[in-house]
Amino acid sequence: MAANSDFQEGNAKGEPVFQMTMETVGEKEATDLKGRKFALPVDSEHKAKTVRLYSVAAPHMRTFHLSWIAFMICFFSTFAAPPLMPVIRDNLGLTKVDIGNAGIASVAGAVVSRLLMGTICDLVGPRYGCAILMMITAPAIFCMPLVSTPVGFILVRFFIGFCLATFVSCQFWMSSMFNSKIVGIANGTAAGWGNMGGGIVQLVMPLVFDIIRRDIGSEKFTAWRIAFFVPGVLQVMMGLLVLTLGQDLPDGNYAELKREGEKVNDSFQKVFLYAVTNYRTYIFALTYGYCFGVELTVDNIIAEYFYDRFDLNLQTAGIIASTFGLMNLFSRPLGGVLSDVVAARWGMRGRLWNLWIIQTVGGILCIVLGLTGQLGPAIAVMLIFSFFVQAACGATFGVIPFISRRSLGIISGATGAGGNIGAVTTQGIFFMSSKYTTEDGIMLMGIMIVACTLPVIFVHFPQWGSMFCPPSKATEEDYYISEWSKEEQSNGLHHASMKFAENSKSERGRQSPLRSKEETVVVDGV
Amino acid sequence: MCSRLIARVDSVCTHPVPMKFSVAFVMTLMLASVSMAQASVLFSTLERTLVVEAKIKEQEISSGIALAGVSHLVISWHLNESFPVSVGDKYVNVKLRLCYAPVSQIDRGWRKTNDDLHKDKTCTKGIAQQKYIFSGNSTTWRVTKDVPGAVYFVRAYAVDAEGNQLAFGQTTDKAKTANLITVLPISGRTGNIDIAAAIFSAFSVVSLTGFLGLESMRSKRTSK
Repeated sequence: MAANSDFQEGNAKGEPVFQMTMETVGEKEATDLKGRKFALPVDSEHKAKTVRLYSVAAPHMRTFHLSWIAFMICFFSTFAAPPLMPVIRDNLGLTKVDIGNAGIASVAGAVVSRLLMGTICDLVGPRYGCAILMMITAPAIFCMPLVSTPVGFILVRFFIGFCLATFVSCQFWMSSMFNSKIVGIANGTAAGWGNMGGGIVQLVMPLVFDIIRRDIGSEKFTAWRIAFFVPGVLQVMMGLLVLTLGQDLPDGNYAELKREGEKVNDSFQKVFLYAVTNYRTYIFALTYGYCFGVELTVDNIIAEYFYDRFDLNLQTAGIIASTFGLMNLFSRPLGGVLSDVVAARWGMRGRLWNLWIIQTVGGILCIVLGLTGQLGPAIAVMLIFSFFVQAACGATFGVIPFISRRSLGIISGATGAGGNIGAVTTQGIFFMSSKYTTEDGIMLMGIMIVACTLPVIFVHFPQWGSMFCPPSKATEEDYYISEWSKEEQSNGLHHASMKFAENSKSERGRQSPLRSKEETVVVDGV
Repeated sequence: MCSRLIARVDSVCTHPVPMKFSVAFVMTLMLASVSMAQASVLFSTLERTLVVEAKIKEQEISSGIALAGVSHLVISWHLNESFPVSVGDKYVNVKLRLCYAPVSQIDRGWRKTNDDLHKDKTCTKGIAQQKYIFSGNSTTWRVTKDVPGAVYFVRAYAVDAEGNQLAFGQTTDKAKTANLITVLPISGRTGNIDIAAAIFSAFSVVSLTGFLGLESMRSKRTSK
């Protein structure tokens, strides 16, 4: 227990998040199940305390890179059709309703798969979850070259969309591998770089299509089909890499840990119960629907919007559309960083305010985008809008890891599913029929973003407070131990949650030194 | 304006703007300025001075079903005799185009008819361009493989040296319901694509099951 307080003091000195050197002085060297030392400094749960982007050291950084690349390729596959839509719609004779339905289908499948993925991660681990999903959906990608009717197109996009659930495994993995102080930046960077797949694909698919047409000499209607083998092959390769190189937890894989008795088999009913009875799950599912859901919607419509409204050719529309997704390179990580920076000073209340402000500004910019009729200003507004929308996604996942320790998987899955439900709803209401023009749809979507972000005001943590209310006398231990029944506590099942509660005291911010001193004394006395 | 836009983005983002963003800005600003510079011609102001006929060569009929990549259209045009020859003094070229009939434009905003010919998307497929002479000319055109499956008619625009439309003629009536040609498209699928898709899908599923089987066997061995 004394070692714990040492760790806390060390952290308070303001360790840099991105480190350039290995520090070994004055720290007990932690080892994993097999007795190997960790390459990065770790906390009491063996989670890394820093993120070193240039490293591929197992297990933390290797997992980080595998995770975000896998998610990026899934994004790539899901949104491979929109940049080629002008060719596909001619080949298959699609109408606006068909295209709208396909767009909805592409994000609807993931509603179910994201909910399931949360449970799968909790039960068999993110490594299996991610790899199995990727390799099972790869055949759907290979079916796209065979499609010849609008119904076939809609069905194939539906099945490909299932792989967006790798988002949940990615976030779950990051939350398991990285300490709570930097979980915002780890989650934000991994997810942001993954979301970039939606931008990269808008550049790559028209390019691949062009190369196939010019250099292989295929007809337009054949070339787009051959182009679809690119996302398919990438996905299979990545699935194999995740299986061979990935690791579930810092200490090892679920199977090994279960055998050694280090990982406890949890009951699905309990995990599910604590997720659905926590009202915060629903609020964040809704608000995530209006930052990530909006991002998915825009990925689906933006290339065609620029192609049709501003009369650009396929390649130019693709380049402009890609900038929306590529902003994720830094906007989503920055959202996570801002969340962590604000939390260091104001704790969880700061994180909530940060989220509300960023997402509301994003909504206002969306309204402006719909009203902008000139090409240059439209691009500029779109870029700034993309920054705020994606930063809001990063900020959301700065808060999610603290809602529950036991049901982290299901809650991440529910939030992710909420994102997709938002995309389905938004596309269904505003972008399906000819009732609204696309620009009106974008403007109305902005109004909906502002309205659906208001519920963040009602999120309250007894130990940390909410946007407008201060905390009560409850502690982190009280909150996290409430997920375990007296029986389970007497069996010692709650120890992992207690370690987490200890590490999460950072969410109080810098304003209550007296309280934390009391806690340290209590901890020492145990 | 370009540098102002780039400076604005710079101040928002903490990382330097990648080269391709600046290139995208410059390209699109150039495009925007170019499109604003040209004057627009309205279709309703054009006179129908040309007579155009199109026949599907293999069947010798002027309306029916044509196969993309296989059928040929024989299109002939000439100045309508009821107009004096002097009407055609300013005509330099005649542009023949394949145009969507209204039934193929329903629910497809990217084929919409607009009176402003710069924004009009009715006749996006070009067939041929020929020099104008009042006695007319004809051409044979194979329906290319990238023509989408839809219902069409043929229109001829008489243009001046800059490409501005001065007059037109078309194979159908004003309501665009008579004399229409239906094109059946190619599917784009080939046997090779079908086989490759099957092989890759099988590989994905088989390698996954193989790997999982291997891991569970290995873990059973170590727990024994």
